[in-house]
Amino acid sequence: MDTTTDTGTATPLPASPREHLASPTTRAVLRVQHAVLDAAREHLREHGFTEMLPPIIGPVTDPGARGAKQVDVDYYGHRYKLMTSAILYKQASLTAFDKIFCIAPNVRLEPLETSSTSRHLAEFHQIDVEVAGASREDAMAVAEGLVAHVVRRVVERSAAELEVLGRDPDAFADLLSGRPFERRAHAAAVADLHGLGHDQNPDAEIDWTGEAMLSAKASRPFFLTDYPKGSRGFYDKESRDQPGRLRNFDLLAPEGYGELCSGSEREHEYGAIIARMRETGENPAKYGWYLKMVRDGIPGSAGFGIGLERLTRYIAGLESVWQASAYPKVPGVVSP
Amino acid sequence: MTGLRAGTFPEAAVRERARTGTAAAFPDLADYGHALFGAPAADPAADELDAARLVPPVFVPERLEKLIDLAREPLPTDVDLTTDIGGFASALPVYLSAFGSTQVASADLGQAASGQAGALGVPMVVGENVVPVNGYGRLTGGAGRSLLGRIRAYADAAPDGLGGVVVQQSTEDADAEVWNLVYSDPSARPLLDSGRLGFELKVGQGAKPGLGGMTVVDAAEGGRLSEQFAVEPVFDPASGRVLRCASPGTFTEEILRQQVRLMRNNFPRARVWVKLPPGRDVAAAAAVAWEAGADAVTVDGAEGGSGWAPTAFLAGVGLPLAECLRRIGAPAGCLLVSGRVWEGLRAVKCLALGARATGLGRAALIAVDEDPRAGLVRLVECLALELRMLVSALGKYRVPALSPDDVWSPRGWAVPERAPLGAVR
Repeated sequence: MDTTTDTGTATPLPASPREHLASPTTRAVLRVQHAVLDAAREHLREHGFTEMLPPIIGPVTDPGARGAKQVDVDYYGHRYKLMTSAILYKQASLTAFDKIFCIAPNVRLEPLETSSTSRHLAEFHQIDVEVAGASREDAMAVAEGLVAHVVRRVVERSAAELEVLGRDPDAFADLLSGRPFERRAHAAAVADLHGLGHDQNPDAEIDWTGEAMLSAKASRPFFLTDYPKGSRGFYDKESRDQPGRLRNFDLLAPEGYGELCSGSEREHEYGAIIARMRETGENPAKYGWYLKMVRDGIPGSAGFGIGLERLTRYIAGLESVWQASAYPKVPGVVSP
Repeated sequence: MTGLRAGTFPEAAVRERARTGTAAAFPDLADYGHALFGAPAADPAADELDAARLVPPVFVPERLEKLIDLAREPLPTDVDLTTDIGGFASALPVYLSAFGSTQVASADLGQAASGQAGALGVPMVVGENVVPVNGYGRLTGGAGRSLLGRIRAYADAAPDGLGGVVVQQSTEDADAEVWNLVYSDPSARPLLDSGRLGFELKVGQGAKPGLGGMTVVDAAEGGRLSEQFAVEPVFDPASGRVLRCASPGTFTEEILRQQVRLMRNNFPRARVWVKLPPGRDVAAAAAVAWEAGADAVTVDGAEGGSGWAPTAFLAGVGLPLAECLRRIGAPAGCLLVSGRVWEGLRAVKCLALGARATGLGRAALIAVDEDPRAGLVRLVECLALELRMLVSALGKYRVPALSPDDVWSPRGWAVPERAPLGAVR
């Protein structure tokens, strides 16, 4: 089965569940993913993080961005949501522990055009990390250390699987060189894209084509920082020094694989969160439990979420992110 | 007919147009050869826009240009009414305003109007709370009165390349994620792929600026909606009915700016419209919306509105449409206006005073109530004939060529300085 995209290129879609699961490629990918999870837990545990299990449904979840729809469920007659991200619960959980992580499933009904980006799934998992009292730079350092550790462990322990997948471990030489990941501001990335002839909206997220263009020019992961307000959710903190800019970041993989991770310093003051909710078109009334916790006080924090299937795709060198899922849900495609 | 009434609106005239179409642009045919005509003796002006007159010039250089182009004297039929409305190609400078979920539109009128607006090739705005009140219509089978029903009725009738559907969302509708729902819906994909889907940020309403949408619901329905809306027991309990109130939403310049940017970020393939109430700072709000990248700003004059509203607001709250136009002046972007527009004369005045197009609200509802199959089409055909006659009378053959100097108001209107006589070729 395949689908023809707007650009006329054919993107393969998953085979039947049996064929997909029995494929040597899938089995190798899932073993790599297992190694990724193992290494991530190992690294975070060694750095003092506590793993928590986040909820699957709740009255609200991350409002998200880029047009993805939440899934409503009937919870005893109340509209509940499947989690699209653990962000609100991560902030709340810092009242229990200072350094937490969770590995959580998320469901987002992505717009249909994402079925041809090769890197969108309607159901996926995130390695979600949050640190009380941390700055954006602290969170970026954790993300950088985590990705480097995971890649190193996979190279060390999963050579056989990488060989089955035809992934040359030398692809990670620059990443594992110890040189810090580059940091580039959103405005500079926009300027770069304009220089490449790409029509990037300076007030918006770097679009998928733009991300792929920037990613294709890199040989190791790099950070994009300082996204404009209007491009992200209410919880990304606005810079005091640069009003209109957010204290956030994305981590992009090289070789055209694009975004792996999004993170930020968080808004945690009640008034700021309410105002930002309005700026992002949200109705504060539906965030009752969260706002009560915020009003009573939650710690300032910074954190991030790494897309597990995207990280697996990059490390395994896969064409499409759905290949990194045992039961892939490509947006708009009916599947088990 | 459903028994729909519009006591503060020229209902009879609209119904006549819905029945007879273009013939209604003229006096009763039975009077021809018997009656002597002239301006109406009594001043029928209801507001400043009605009191204003269109003032054709003697010298018509643009007619000369058209004459040269055609190699014959131009006629009203030579007027090009096609235009761009908020990013959509439209057959006429007209769009269908949102009806929301008020009871009159919840009946099948909303769907009847949708199909006819599609056939006319003009954009249609769909009220946001159709989803929480009537449902989206996807998993529940028959689309019927739902949002999906209206979208399908429109899309099935629309000619290729013309028109567009604009879906509203206001504060409470963020809960239902109406925009995200539509944007990710396979049913809406043909509209999205053909560039004919838009979203409208509902900042306020014409007939009740400063208040949110209001509907009257029975007590049981009120209970169901009470999680999402305020429900007030303002009526005699014996009536079994309650008032359901939405919020107007909290806006500052920064909130409006960022919401527009968020819409552009989240829905890059959809057009972005912003609907403003007739507030005293309407010009500043419109400027913020355009600067943030809105494809259109819609302003409802205080005369507008098809829904339930407190009488105090209908009588004395909000700027009249004429004053909104005056305060906005020369718009920096696409300006769309509505407020008691149903015929060509008032529409052309609005277009000359800066609007790109005018909305039909109550007029459209009355027209489809008169004839659900073709009432709106006939009303708009009559309006289009008047537009062509009036625009050509002003010596112009394109709608964007209209300007404030085409309008004279007895109460005064800021008319741009005329070019010196010698400059007129």
